[in-house]
Amino acid sequence: MSIIEVQSLRKDYSTAAALRGVDLVIEKGQWVSIIGPSGSGKTTLLNIIGGLDHPTDGKVFVKGTDINALSEDELSVFRRENIGFVFQQSHLIPYLDATENVMLAQYFHSLPDRKEAEEALKRVGLGHRLTHRPSQLSGGEQQRVCIARALINNPSILLADEPTGNLDRTNTRNVLELLRRLHQEEHFTVVMVTHDPYVTEWAERVIKMEDGRIITDESVSG
Amino acid sequence: MLLRIVRSSFVNQKKAMAVMIVAVAVGTAIASSLISLSLDITSKVSKELRAFGANIKVEPRLQGIAEVAGQRRYLRSEDLLKIKTIFWRHNILGFVPFLYTIEPSTGHTVIGTWYRKSIKVPGEREPFVTGASEVMPWWQIKGRWPESENEVLLGRELSSRLNLRRGDRVELFGRDFRVSGILSTGSKEDDAFVLPLEVLQKLSGLNGKISEVYVSALTTPMDDFAYKDPEKMSPREYEKWYCTGYVTSIAKQIEEVMRGSRARPIWPVAETEGKVLKRLGLLIYLLSAVSVISAALGVSTTMIMSLLRRTRQVALMKAIGADRLNTVLIFLTEALIVGFLGGLTGYLLSLLISKYIGVEVFGTPLRQRAILFPLSLGASVLIAVLGAYLPIRKALAIRPALILKGE
Ligand SMILES: Nc1ncnc2c1ncn2[C@@H]1O[C@H](COP(=O)(O)OP(=O)(O)O)[C@@H](O)[C@H]1O
Ligand SMILES: [Mg+2]
Repeated sequence: MSIIEVQSLRKDYSTAAALRGVDLVIEKGQWVSIIGPSGSGKTTLLNIIGGLDHPTDGKVFVKGTDINALSEDELSVFRRENIGFVFQQSHLIPYLDATENVMLAQYFHSLPDRKEAEEALKRVGLGHRLTHRPSQLSGGEQQRVCIARALINNPSILLADEPTGNLDRTNTRNVLELLRRLHQEEHFTVVMVTHDPYVTEWAERVIKMEDGRIITDESVSG
Repeated sequence: MLLRIVRSSFVNQKKAMAVMIVAVAVGTAIASSLISLSLDITSKVSKELRAFGANIKVEPRLQGIAEVAGQRRYLRSEDLLKIKTIFWRHNILGFVPFLYTIEPSTGHTVIGTWYRKSIKVPGEREPFVTGASEVMPWWQIKGRWPESENEVLLGRELSSRLNLRRGDRVELFGRDFRVSGILSTGSKEDDAFVLPLEVLQKLSGLNGKISEVYVSALTTPMDDFAYKDPEKMSPREYEKWYCTGYVTSIAKQIEEVMRGSRARPIWPVAETEGKVLKRLGLLIYLLSAVSVISAALGVSTTMIMSLLRRTRQVALMKAIGADRLNTVLIFLTEALIVGFLGGLTGYLLSLLISKYIGVEVFGTPLRQRAILFPLSLGASVLIAVLGAYLPIRKALAIRPALILKGE
């Protein structure tokens, strides 16, 4: 069953086209890596799927909903119900501690629940860092807080934009192993953008982009 | 959580917050003391303006036949007290009765009046002091007001015409009087003898009679409604008119309690007063609006700067699910807290300012103190919300995709 369906998607900027006709169907529960050189349109594609950006042309269906037809507030609701984001730079609120950063996502979704937020941090191996501020955490730890935050409301889709882009090999592997474990437990769909072939080793399907187009799309044994 | 977010933006941006609170406080203090001043100023300034004399004149109502018969009509002394019983009695600052007579043998005018009379008003503990000394403060007496039944005051012009001085003797109504002082008023009293009202009433046989009364009343400036003809008002309008302290409605009320009287505003006085007060009021509201707006601009720019520093955070919050309401709430809460703290500070400031204005400008502190608090809070919240408007619009316009992209 497909959870994401992208039809002849275009995104033009005044200077150039970032996406020049992308068609893509992603199955529920799949772990998909999108790889390609910098500037090939990966981030743009991911942001449009996540409802953070609007396409110039084409359609995006997520769980059967045409998300371009949604109003801004409907998109907010759609995002907090269905999607978890992890970005390359660990985007955390600097003056909130790890637990509070996770609780923030709960707050926008429904109600903050400290216990549950702490549980989530323990699951990503940060039981000993609950009250640390982002600046007191390593890059890998910060990304794990982001993962805990992205997954706190049980989204069906995790969108990750170069989540390990700032991490060294060891930390990259730790974060990806952690994600694999959570993915196996909770069966959410993963769409992960990267330019690092190493990261695609965790994926079940690898899509290669270049110059705003998909050039290869192959399934691998994850 | 909302409070946690807002609290940390205070803790993390102490300087910006302090600037906003000060802006609100100053704007609030100025606006609220000006407004409280304007509430007070009507009475303060019109009290000052009352120094220019009475604004209502009460005369006997003309009745055709009586005029033809050449018979003089009078008002009654006993009705004078009732002026202090009308709906607007507290606005009656003073009144002066006059009785005009002609001394039969010499043909000189003799005027009876009150100079400084203390009267007991039913239902009031304090006696009410009134008379020419209160209502016509420009009266000048060289010497003193008659203290015994055989003393008389002499108008300045008449005194030079008769070549009479203080201490001289003069015969009026067949009785001997001593001149206790020379009076100058710039008006008809200058050419007359002046006696205490009751003394003249007895001498002239006009017991309990008075010719006219001058009333000095604090009034609400005349507006368009005030100029409507009361005869043509609906009962509801009439009620409103009657219960507003217009010079006309107060005159009407005096007319109702003084039998056979006709009470009229002394228009030049009443109108000037109304104009002065109206312009003053307008000026004050303009100034308050200016101070509110400039404070709001201060809040606005500071808040926008603080927002620019937080753009990424706002973008992030949106990406993880903040909708427009969440975004508005964060900044509005921040603004309201700033407004509240600024309002409190502004209130304390406005207490000082209004005390200063009152003492420096009018010689007494302003009366409307109680209203300063709600006024300050109102002004500060208004400033904060106005100031937050643009920043909130800007925050709502933040596109997370553009901000968070950075690779
Ligand atoms: N806001 C923007 N304005 C103009 N051009 C942009 C903007 N965002 C991205 N682009 C351009 O679109 C193309 C795709 O960008 P992006 O999706 O970020 O690529 P990737 O994530 O694969 O590096 C690039 O050429 C980039 O310069
Ligand atoms: Mg990118």
